[in-house]
Amino acid sequence: MNGLTTLERKERPFDPMPKPTSPGEEGGGPKRPDTGSPEKDSLMKRMKKVDPKQAERYRQRTGQ
Amino acid sequence: MRLFGLETEYGITREDLATVDPVEESMELVRAHLTDTFERTWDYSGEDPREDARGFRAAHLQQDREEDEFAKLDAHRPFSFHEMKSDLVLPNGARFYNDHTHPEYSTPECRTLMDVIAHDRAGERIVQRAADRRNQTLGGPYVQLYKNNTDFHGHSYGCHDNYLVRRAVPFEQIVHGLLPFLASRQIIAGAGKVGLEAQEHGFTPGPYQLSQRADFMETELSVDTMHNRPILNTRDEPHADRNKYRRLHLIVGDANMCEYATALKIGTTRLMLDVIARGRAPSLELEDSVAAIRLISRDADLKQLVKRRSGGFLSGLDLQAECYEAAKQTLSGEDEETDWVLREWGETLALLAADRSRLVGRLDWVTKLWLLETFMREERIGWDDPWLASLDLEYHNVNPERGLFLGLEAEGKVVRITETDKVDAALSTGPTDTRGGIRGLCVRRFPDQIKSVQWERVQFSGGFLPRTLDMSDLFEPDAVSALVEVLNAADSPADAITRWNQRKVQS
Repeated sequence: MNGLTTLERKERPFDPMPKPTSPGEEGGGPKRPDTGSPEKDSLMKRMKKVDPKQAERYRQRTGQ
Repeated sequence: MRLFGLETEYGITREDLATVDPVEESMELVRAHLTDTFERTWDYSGEDPREDARGFRAAHLQQDREEDEFAKLDAHRPFSFHEMKSDLVLPNGARFYNDHTHPEYSTPECRTLMDVIAHDRAGERIVQRAADRRNQTLGGPYVQLYKNNTDFHGHSYGCHDNYLVRRAVPFEQIVHGLLPFLASRQIIAGAGKVGLEAQEHGFTPGPYQLSQRADFMETELSVDTMHNRPILNTRDEPHADRNKYRRLHLIVGDANMCEYATALKIGTTRLMLDVIARGRAPSLELEDSVAAIRLISRDADLKQLVKRRSGGFLSGLDLQAECYEAAKQTLSGEDEETDWVLREWGETLALLAADRSRLVGRLDWVTKLWLLETFMREERIGWDDPWLASLDLEYHNVNPERGLFLGLEAEGKVVRITETDKVDAALSTGPTDTRGGIRGLCVRRFPDQIKSVQWERVQFSGGFLPRTLDMSDLFEPDAVSALVEVLNAADSPADAITRWNQRKVQS
């Protein structure tokens, strides 16, 4: 079974092949997540913990 | 015929050391994965990265001056080539090894988007599990892994997407149809990056761009991958029957964290290859594709125009819209997955033009930009603040306790395409309908009788009967199922190969 359509079936069990969405409407396919604002979330705390110098120290060798 | 896979080179660091040796760290990481004393010997005889699809063999592969110096030091390391590579073939058919200075996870070959995404996510968990084991040995959480493509100092490493295509399709036709598509694919598949870079030329903090790799694209076509990198890699290493197939090896793409972006990256590219094979690709040839890929990457408003060879200008959105329309006209209604890709591709392009905020949690460059802009407002900092590059890096950390993307996903703010149980299954078993699954089955079924493995064959040790399982033309799902049946019923590899050969003769 194609898992992509499984996802759609889970979200809209009576419409296995929902119509394409347009910018102005919520239709089938993956739904927009409830993004809200990260300020209210633990994610902002996680971001503040990142060392500002971390990228400066990060060194790799050239890969492919 | 449909087959694709992803190879991802991970960035690796040790936070307890001032200077990190990436060769040794990558080796140790791969070895930390081992759960048994054995090591599968990878058979390198099928690899020739200098063979060029344009009909010649390159005298040598280029690398930058810095790597030339490193290579001299590497030659004196106290371990062999095989020890350095530490190649593992996993029970799910994947390859996990040290690609010189980066741990690399190559998914098994997949036929569906759901499978390739599940295996890409399984790869993240497998490399992180190896890091956890390594950290246990080291006594602290020192090793960190990044699924990204830059170190913000002018060093890039790749995430390559691969597609099986029929050799009957002329390579020139693929080049003509695919270059404009690839130059603009970043508007849906870019992972986003803070600042500007160039090969061996460090980092300029500042504006945000769509792609991690665009800065490192230096030519349209080339067999090289470490220097003079091409938008369309011409390596002709089919890992299949050379008379019938090519493997299109694309090095232009970013490593994606968003499953949705991965699905669109691979899904749209597969559709474009089908359109090209049918001679229906739009004629969009650009005057300078290398300039175009950089210009498009550096305009997050997607207004930048690039020049067509035939005259006139198009934006990245225009180029993608032309490709989308051609795919829709040519392929609509072919199968469920094709229709899903067409629908989501069209919707994504419409949202990019109208309200990209609705693509947070779907596209990496949009998601990362949203996180960074929120953080900048909170902390009252500007694009020139070095903190932003560090946050960019941490977006890609595959440690679930630290990674920003994984944190966002844990909060339910990211669209999932696959499901956790499918990723769990992909940790230990390969796709049921490809030779990747067969490879994994051989590892599980006859672990002590494998002599060597590569993409197109498995060689078994011992005995006088035939010992090589040839998979160079094993791409039809029915044939894969038949071979699974044979392998499961056989008492030994030799028994399986004899039965399989008899079955092929009968059919």
